[in-house]
Amino acid sequence: MDIIVCIKRVAQTAEADVKIDSSGKDIVKDRLTFDMNESDTYALEEAILLKEKFGGTLTAVSLGTVQAEDTLRIALAKGADSAIRIKAEDFEGLDGYKTAQLLKAAIKDLKFDVVFTGCIATDDYYSQVGVTLAELLGVPHATLVTKIDIQDTKAQVHRELEGGLMEHLEMTLPALFTIQTGINEPRYASLIAIRRAAKKEIKVIGASEIDPIGIQANASLEELFTPPAGKRAEILTGSVDEISAKVAGIIKEKGLI
Amino acid sequence: MNEIFALVEHRQGIIRDITYELLSCGRKLAEKGNTKLTAVILGYNTDNFVQILKGQAHRLLVVDNEVYEDFNSEVYQTALTEIIKRQNPVLTLISHSAFGMDLCPALAAQLGMPFTTDCLDVELAEHKLKVTRQIYDGKLNAKVLLRENAGYMITLRSGCFPAGESSLDGVVEKIDTPVSAQPDYRKFIEYIEAAVGEVDITKSDILVSVGRGVKEKANLSIIEDFAETIGGVVGCSRPVVDAGWLPKDRQIGSSGKTVKPKLYIGLGISGAFQHIVGMKGADTIIAVNKDPNAPIFSEADYGIVDDLFKVVPVLKTKILEMKQAKG
Amino acid sequence: MGSAIKMNTEVRAAIIESGGDDVIKCYQCGRCMAACPWNLLGGLNYATYRFCQRIKLGAIIDSEEKEAIAADTIDVFRCVGCDACKSECPRGVGLSDVLRAVRRILVDFNSYPGELKSVVARLFNSGNPLGEPAEKRADWAEGLNIPQYTEVNEYLYFPCCLPAYDARAKKVAQASARILKRAGISFGIMGKDEFCCGEAVRRVGAEKVFQTAVKQNTELFKKAKVQKVIATSPHCLVTFTKEYPEYYDGFETLHAVQVFDQLIKEKKIVPKKPFGKTVVYHDPCTLGRQMDIFDEPRAILKSIPGLNLVEVPVFNREFSVCCGGGSMGLWLDWPQDERLANIRTEQILETGADILCVACPYCLHMFEETMKSMDADIEVMDISEILEASLELR
Repeated sequence: MDIIVCIKRVAQTAEADVKIDSSGKDIVKDRLTFDMNESDTYALEEAILLKEKFGGTLTAVSLGTVQAEDTLRIALAKGADSAIRIKAEDFEGLDGYKTAQLLKAAIKDLKFDVVFTGCIATDDYYSQVGVTLAELLGVPHATLVTKIDIQDTKAQVHRELEGGLMEHLEMTLPALFTIQTGINEPRYASLIAIRRAAKKEIKVIGASEIDPIGIQANASLEELFTPPAGKRAEILTGSVDEISAKVAGIIKEKGLI
Repeated sequence: MNEIFALVEHRQGIIRDITYELLSCGRKLAEKGNTKLTAVILGYNTDNFVQILKGQAHRLLVVDNEVYEDFNSEVYQTALTEIIKRQNPVLTLISHSAFGMDLCPALAAQLGMPFTTDCLDVELAEHKLKVTRQIYDGKLNAKVLLRENAGYMITLRSGCFPAGESSLDGVVEKIDTPVSAQPDYRKFIEYIEAAVGEVDITKSDILVSVGRGVKEKANLSIIEDFAETIGGVVGCSRPVVDAGWLPKDRQIGSSGKTVKPKLYIGLGISGAFQHIVGMKGADTIIAVNKDPNAPIFSEADYGIVDDLFKVVPVLKTKILEMKQAKG
Repeated sequence: MGSAIKMNTEVRAAIIESGGDDVIKCYQCGRCMAACPWNLLGGLNYATYRFCQRIKLGAIIDSEEKEAIAADTIDVFRCVGCDACKSECPRGVGLSDVLRAVRRILVDFNSYPGELKSVVARLFNSGNPLGEPAEKRADWAEGLNIPQYTEVNEYLYFPCCLPAYDARAKKVAQASARILKRAGISFGIMGKDEFCCGEAVRRVGAEKVFQTAVKQNTELFKKAKVQKVIATSPHCLVTFTKEYPEYYDGFETLHAVQVFDQLIKEKKIVPKKPFGKTVVYHDPCTLGRQMDIFDEPRAILKSIPGLNLVEVPVFNREFSVCCGGGSMGLWLDWPQDERLANIRTEQILETGADILCVACPYCLHMFEETMKSMDADIEVMDISEILEASLELR
């Protein structure tokens, strides 16, 4: 079974103070840590588990600047056989659509049975790249996948819907799946594998291999701004009845009932 | 300006709430752009959907066939590609949900139409489409301009466009499409309900979190009952897991799960820093604790200094009253 | 873990280069294993000396099996840096430094526990592990009228991130500041320009973040001409004293207990109000075993009228058992039957004392939480709070 997994290096902003930089179109990055996008770690693990079950090859692909090679090396250490970096520095105005086109250009000549991506990136929050890539490759897709069972070329797939409900689909390979967090337990890398991955060659491709003409973005960034702050600490006073009424009112006002 | 289209999302015979938000947004955009809103319904036995939605759009475009009863992105994509090519709406609105995420990018890519996802705000003026999106874990907003085109497609985030009142009288138009069967390469088989007790607290919009103030395991039933009333899920701090009252997958905190619900209600939680680190990203935080010095009050938006067992029953009643009044 | 050990000279070299050279000294006597507090837990077999053996062979975290790799990785991060092993080792092997060398490689590669990744990210971003805004770092001192440090002040009081931001630990900084004021000590604080001392983040292997901490703090101290620091946390004390001089040695650091002890001896403060309780003192690993400060806290407690001081039998002073908070142990969650703080609490409760006296913000937090989860009937107080009560400052 030949598998491709698309991964992204993202800034860890969940618990950080995010500041807009002097250009107004990017953020200050010098006090941020970076790591593989969360749902991508689950996608990678699912890819490795699939490879362990059926044998075959696993290729990790990432669109990014040279630091993305650190993230590709994590994939190599955990079980990918080879890695490809598409030079983000060669292409301007990257958005989800352009990213998908570049990924397609990088992998279209590779043989594959399954392509995995994460379901959403925590920097852009697009949830676009996987599905767009599937369409460009001409393969069926399923998003928010929480379970995959492959027998021959048939896959029984579970998708996560809202409210704890799941959807069971039957699909045929080749196909692309965007993976939801929690589907498996991502592994650590062994020190031996880390050392091996540190020395492995990563294939790097850029504008000399992929013609930038004809690859267009869907959208351009106009400005970044901080959402209006809304926090105020207020101790509610009154009888239990009055307080409860106030709280119910607050909840209703927020559109939560 | 050509028409605005809004795709109706339904599941198991019920129109999902976000559809009304989509239609409300669509009506506003149509009014501003001096054009009309068409609600697009792909479904089976759609008469009751049509009845419910008739007043919400100028036109209802209905495709009624068994193959559309349960969502299948391949099937919907084929149908909608044809419909949109023929009808040429200036903008198609789809919900940013499991349905919309699965459909929109592929549909737009097939149509060669610029699209983007998870929009909080929409500006359509002189054929230019600008949207607001959130990035970096919701810490920043981005204003984004779409590549100029005759037609656009976007998905809208739920809870950003209030579902409003409308008294239109939609014209119903039933059309046919050539799709008659699900393709082999993707077939919808069935829905599966989550197993009882299996809950992912990171995915719930409303969290009711308990600490040691709940005093004993038996009292959890009051809390779970309250959580159900409010449409939320129960989480907890570490001491509750330690005491064996709730499983570890309910633990909120640095060594449990980090949660970002729309509403977090802390009951009897003191606010040890490991717990606070796991929930301080919540949109609205309400804390109930007997101790006025509980650290949680410095994280909360609203605080109630009282016994949770006094407050919860009364709060539950008020919320039930409010729900009944609405429905 | 059953297959034969395969040597890997490359892994061995990488770890030794990363700072694990002490392994060469180890001759496998196993005394570290007897000293390690993890081995007080029945059922846990924390084979400390095997770390050295396996590193010498380059055969650590070397399995191809997912579960074994995970178990090995977690074991490398289990060590809390109490250095009980080092104090017993006839060869002076710093096993926590050896493990730190392994951790550095794993942290560099982003293959380490997620809870620790989050703390490291928060600390790097905001200068403290709680992720609280730097602007609020001096909020604990509101109303206490403490000047912003300048070179006219003799001391800089460095409260540590936990007392700066945590609701419970704040009281320690406040009590300490009030005592220093009462004694007429010339001191100031800095607040938002400070960065975490970096001790725990260095131990966990996030060397780049530690270097950021050192750079920011030493530049700040140089600029403000800081010469003497009073620290509330033994962790700040040990890192300022032992790690910072390599980068900047223009300042010396004292722990609050050293200052309080001296002030009592000089009669600048006189404990008066009787403290009619039995108090057991817990030696923090970093203050006691690592910095040799055992007598000053005891002298302080003995100077308080009506205070009955008791000791934990056998496991006191350099044999004190770690609370488990060091090396970011504060942020990890072990199963209840695998908690160092629980064992230590049992030893403490056996003394029958009314009050547990601590002298470290990590111990304070670990024991406060443990007393709650074990439903233990003993109050936890920092030594500054006990002293302050007897000085009748409020």
